[in-house]
Amino acid sequence: MRKSNLHLAIRLALFSSMAMLSGVATAGAIEDKIDSLQDQIDQLKAQAANAEKSSGGINGLSSNSMLGGYGELHYNHFSGDVPAGKTRAKDDVDFHRFVLFFGHRFNDWISFKSELEIEHSNTENGGAVELEQAYLDFNFSEKINAKAGLFLMPLGIINETHEPPTFYGVERNNVENRIIPSTWWEAGVSLYGELAPGWKYQTGLSSSLSAASFEKFATKGVREGRQNVAEAPAENIGFHARLDYSGMLGLTVGASVFTGNTGQNDDLLNGADARLTLWDAHARYQVDKFDLRALYAQGHLSDAAEINTAFTNVSNQVAEQFYGWYLEGGYKVWQSGDQSVIPFVRFEKWDLQDKLASNTVKSTESANEVWTVGVNYLPHPQVVLKADYQQFDKPDGNKGDARLNLGMGYMF
Amino acid sequence: MKHILLSFSIVLSMLATAPVHAIQQYLSADAFLAEVFNGQVPKPKLLWLLKDNAKQAEQILGHAPNQIRQRYWQQNGVTAWVLEEIGKEELITAGFVVQANKIVQVRVLTYRESRGWEVRHPAFLKQFEGLMLQPDRHLTRQVDGISGATLSVSAMSRMTRLALYLDALVAQESQS
Repeated sequence: MRKSNLHLAIRLALFSSMAMLSGVATAGAIEDKIDSLQDQIDQLKAQAANAEKSSGGINGLSSNSMLGGYGELHYNHFSGDVPAGKTRAKDDVDFHRFVLFFGHRFNDWISFKSELEIEHSNTENGGAVELEQAYLDFNFSEKINAKAGLFLMPLGIINETHEPPTFYGVERNNVENRIIPSTWWEAGVSLYGELAPGWKYQTGLSSSLSAASFEKFATKGVREGRQNVAEAPAENIGFHARLDYSGMLGLTVGASVFTGNTGQNDDLLNGADARLTLWDAHARYQVDKFDLRALYAQGHLSDAAEINTAFTNVSNQVAEQFYGWYLEGGYKVWQSGDQSVIPFVRFEKWDLQDKLASNTVKSTESANEVWTVGVNYLPHPQVVLKADYQQFDKPDGNKGDARLNLGMGYMF
Repeated sequence: MKHILLSFSIVLSMLATAPVHAIQQYLSADAFLAEVFNGQVPKPKLLWLLKDNAKQAEQILGHAPNQIRQRYWQQNGVTAWVLEEIGKEELITAGFVVQANKIVQVRVLTYRESRGWEVRHPAFLKQFEGLMLQPDRHLTRQVDGISGATLSVSAMSRMTRLALYLDALVAQESQS
């Protein structure tokens, strides 16, 4: 019995010792695990701190720099009648615009903004690489700020805000292409701010267009007079001003004007001032599922007779007065999460030779009307797929009087 | 030419006399919080956005969240958040107050873009009040836009959704 008790005691002692050793081993493993977790937490916190330090920057840029962009691809199918003697243009597909924004904030009141564009994909088939914006922005106060450099003229609706998801239709509307020559930029200085709650203004001085470069005025207006601030003549300056009211939810109404000589002391024009005054009144009302826009624009050009005398090419004959307007309505018929479908309809009317100098014969192509019906599908608020059909009252150039357009666009 | 020189002179003289501080800060974060909590601002807390929560936040914003540890203030069932998001080119700083899964108040604290300031107007911000998050993490009502401020409006909507989502996470954490 003593012997068996002794054996039992030895067994218990051995078991206890093993249990203790096992307990020590388990505690050690837990401590190791805790140390490992602590290391991971420390690493995570370090990563978090680094991530927060660089927040605000994009794709490795410093936190004070910004990269963005937009782009649009268009397909145009031309059909219907073309004017006598013309051959209808072939259907085309075009990566019309590829644009990169780059901005940098130097401190809390000075920043730089720029927009670099490749038009039509390359420079070999009529495309171009263009600097559309490059200006310093000085933020003084709510009421007064200034921009200096190369910036977009603050006219109309499209010229300053033209990212594809922000407008309806594959192509931008005709009025803000032919009457207001979007996209239009000049070099200069401009003050802007808020006069009172809801009342925004912008006004300043800039370089001007060149009348010597006006071309096919009856269909393009002053569009070809843009010099793009590329070794451009700077004999004349232009004045611009804009006032908008947006104090009521969803409503923006405003007007803008540009006036300046465009003669640029060009020998071709025999000293004509060629003062251009271009103005517009615009409104946009976005409420619930509705989005309505309206714009009227008008231009006046002095010395039209002198300019026409100087021009040897008859197709370049300019007008004393020209105008255009449009009405557009969109309605969001479907929305699910980020996705939405918005059909729209637009009517436009313009005449680029509303009033002519006595030595000018009106072109049959200067006035037109067009209905556009289409749909924007946004799978994401910054991505759009578009389709529309356009019916022109009269054949438009060599593109016929009917068009089917398809497109895609994005902005970020 | 004379006019151009004159205009440059005017701008340069404005630069010389300009008050050098962040002018478009309409309300500091401290003032916003003092307003929300009637001067009795609680100590800030931290909410970590890791794994699935970070992915959800990324889905809402369209990019990884700027902060993986988000500061917030909480008192009597109210949470307050100060968030930042890029509109078109610059960060917008905005304050959000959430109670019972609903937006109580939205304020734009600092606006740095050169266009689209209208997003700070009370008439625009009022439409956010009462908004909630749907199961798909979108807002229960569409926010009316502003002409020329599409990206700023979109940024405000994304931040609103994020504030509601973060508030829901805080509620979840306090229940577990």
